[in-house]
Amino acid sequence: MSEAAVHITGVTKRFGDTVAVHELSLVVPRGSVYGLLGPNGAGKTTTIRMILNIIVPDSGTISVLGRPHLDEAVTNRVGYLPEERGLYKKMQVRRVLRFLAELKGIKPKVADQRINKWLERLQLTTAEKDWGNAKIDELSRGMQQKVQFIGTLVHEPDLVILDEPFSGLDPVNSQALKDTIVELKRDGKTVIFSTHLMDNAERLCDSVCIVAHGEKVLDGEVAAVKAARGTRNVALAIDGDVGGAVRHVLADSLLVARMDDQNRYFEIELAPKADPQELLRRVIAAGANVRRFELISPSLHQIFLERVGAKGVEEGMSGHG
Amino acid sequence: MGKTWVVFKREYVERVRSKWFIIATVFGPILMAVIMVLPAVLAMRTKSSSDLSNIVIIDATGSDLGSRVAKALTTTTPEATAPRLRRVQADQVADEEKSATSEVMGHAALGYMVLDSNTLAGKEMRYAGRNATALIDVQGIERMVRQSLLNMRLEREGIDPSRVAMLTAVRLETKTEKISDRGKEGAGGMASLFFGYAISILLYMMIAIYGQSIMRGVLDEKTNRVAEVVIASVKPDALLTGKIIGSGAVAVTQVTVWLTMGFLMYLVRVPILKAFGAAPAMASGAIKIPTVAPMIGVALFLFFVLGFAFYAALFGAVGAMVSNQEDIQQAAMPVMLMLISSVLFMQPILLSPSSALSVTMSLLPFSAPMIMPLRMAVVAVPWYEIVGSLASVTVGCAIAIWLSARIYRVGLLMYGKRPSVRELGRWIRMS
Repeated sequence: MSEAAVHITGVTKRFGDTVAVHELSLVVPRGSVYGLLGPNGAGKTTTIRMILNIIVPDSGTISVLGRPHLDEAVTNRVGYLPEERGLYKKMQVRRVLRFLAELKGIKPKVADQRINKWLERLQLTTAEKDWGNAKIDELSRGMQQKVQFIGTLVHEPDLVILDEPFSGLDPVNSQALKDTIVELKRDGKTVIFSTHLMDNAERLCDSVCIVAHGEKVLDGEVAAVKAARGTRNVALAIDGDVGGAVRHVLADSLLVARMDDQNRYFEIELAPKADPQELLRRVIAAGANVRRFELISPSLHQIFLERVGAKGVEEGMSGHG
Repeated sequence: MGKTWVVFKREYVERVRSKWFIIATVFGPILMAVIMVLPAVLAMRTKSSSDLSNIVIIDATGSDLGSRVAKALTTTTPEATAPRLRRVQADQVADEEKSATSEVMGHAALGYMVLDSNTLAGKEMRYAGRNATALIDVQGIERMVRQSLLNMRLEREGIDPSRVAMLTAVRLETKTEKISDRGKEGAGGMASLFFGYAISILLYMMIAIYGQSIMRGVLDEKTNRVAEVVIASVKPDALLTGKIIGSGAVAVTQVTVWLTMGFLMYLVRVPILKAFGAAPAMASGAIKIPTVAPMIGVALFLFFVLGFAFYAALFGAVGAMVSNQEDIQQAAMPVMLMLISSVLFMQPILLSPSSALSVTMSLLPFSAPMIMPLRMAVVAVPWYEIVGSLASVTVGCAIAIWLSARIYRVGLLMYGKRPSVRELGRWIRMS
């Protein structure tokens, strides 16, 4: 169990003239929750598709669960939820799921038992109604997402890859997804998911890799990534109106290098040599009603903005992850 | 192989379970039987107009041809109004025609005929009337005039009128038998012509229907976005293979059911035809199934399998090429043209099954699966041509599958506008 769940070495992929992924190397430790972070068009989906052997890289090597990723035995141990989700609309739920399970080498009988368990667990089979016998297009969107999720996990994969799993989920399903990811980790599975929502990633991930323009910006354990940035950040929360005087203080480039202004909450990166105590004194002197003032490690969001920059985010807006 | 089997199973089961398959399979033969039997029955029941003799005969021949025709007409339809004979001079014909026309317009007569020196010379007669477009009426009238003219000529040559009728009573029917390398093969001619035509049309229909259903199936997987989940588990080539074999098996199932039902119907054809009102003698002898030698049967099956695989692969690639229903018909056009061109040539090939055109068409991979069975049904095709044709289709099939698999692999994840020919070339090189 010592080897990595996924090991990518020097992988490059071009589509015509555009380089989607350039010389990317990363290691996903076994049993971890791994976040692949980056703006739209950074190359996240391309990377995931290459891990799954849907797209062949131009150069570089990929190994999954200690084997070359071309190995069919490996494919059977991976579960995949693509960003664009969909199922055979005219097929019955149970038949779709049995098909997906059989494609992963599960015997139909075993598959049927697991499917029934999952359908009950996700309340698709209740006392009144068994949605398992309904056709996919008779299901609501939320229910279809549940079925798709079962399809990803029905063969009990060791490695689960989720591409933008949180997009389009309501808060309830979003919470359920987080719970499932934590549960998968507890069972010793490895989970890789891509997202551009840094808050989710920071709370869920053991390790992350930030990519932009097809290149790795940084990677490593979340704690280490944050610790490497030191505690030069300040979380500042203010009650009541934030007056012009306070804003004037925060605009002082001798004190504040960078600031994420969320109206009543500020995440501030201190200027080099600036003293946090002086910042606190001046903010209070400016009449602010301070509720929280804390020296913190920078959030992933801050690190992301700092390293990728607003430019990288904007340029990536039009493309595909 | 295991995963191809899973794909095959899904493709087959889901299609066979669908309502449309069941409806088409069960009602297809019934519909076809009705289409085939109905015209025959209708034709049998169609008689010439009952008042065929209710016409004006304008006789400018100066002979008794007019009265002979009138007599013949009266004899065939004795209960109808007798024909009105008007003997005229050649220069009065135009006036008589005018008045006859107004009679027809006033419903006093069904039509009028003009007999003149041209008629006497055996060249032409003219007929105008309300039933001028009814083939069976016109043919009947023509037959009577011809017979009357013949009788008249023979009598002028001094032959006894009573013997003329006996001598000219020649009703000839051709009974044909086909001879091949193995000798006589029973029902030939029309029957084998019809059989060959039916086989080719059936092959064409099956390829067109099921090939296009693969195309739509692939597009469906693309637009449903289920394709990405599936190819994360199974190689695109195995997926395409499974889909082609699956749909092909559905087509074979359908044809098997149809043939079985057709054979059962053949066994009980007499009561069925009687129910439609056919004479018992006719019913028992009307339809003969040409015997098919086992080797020919095997060749037919191979042509179907290879032809189907050829077109199914191409249709599959077309489905992967486009992203929406609007584009698909246009993108499928080149493939459809290949398929239709084979059918367009069926008529000329039936008329001369050994011409250079026929031989060429039966050797080209895209038309051979339909044209070679057609030729085999009507003439004895040398064995080396059959083998050559099968070889050519096999090679064509391999190339089509190779090209399609490459387009399919790339196209499945491409969304957006339809690729140009150049882009397609890049896709093929890319994968």
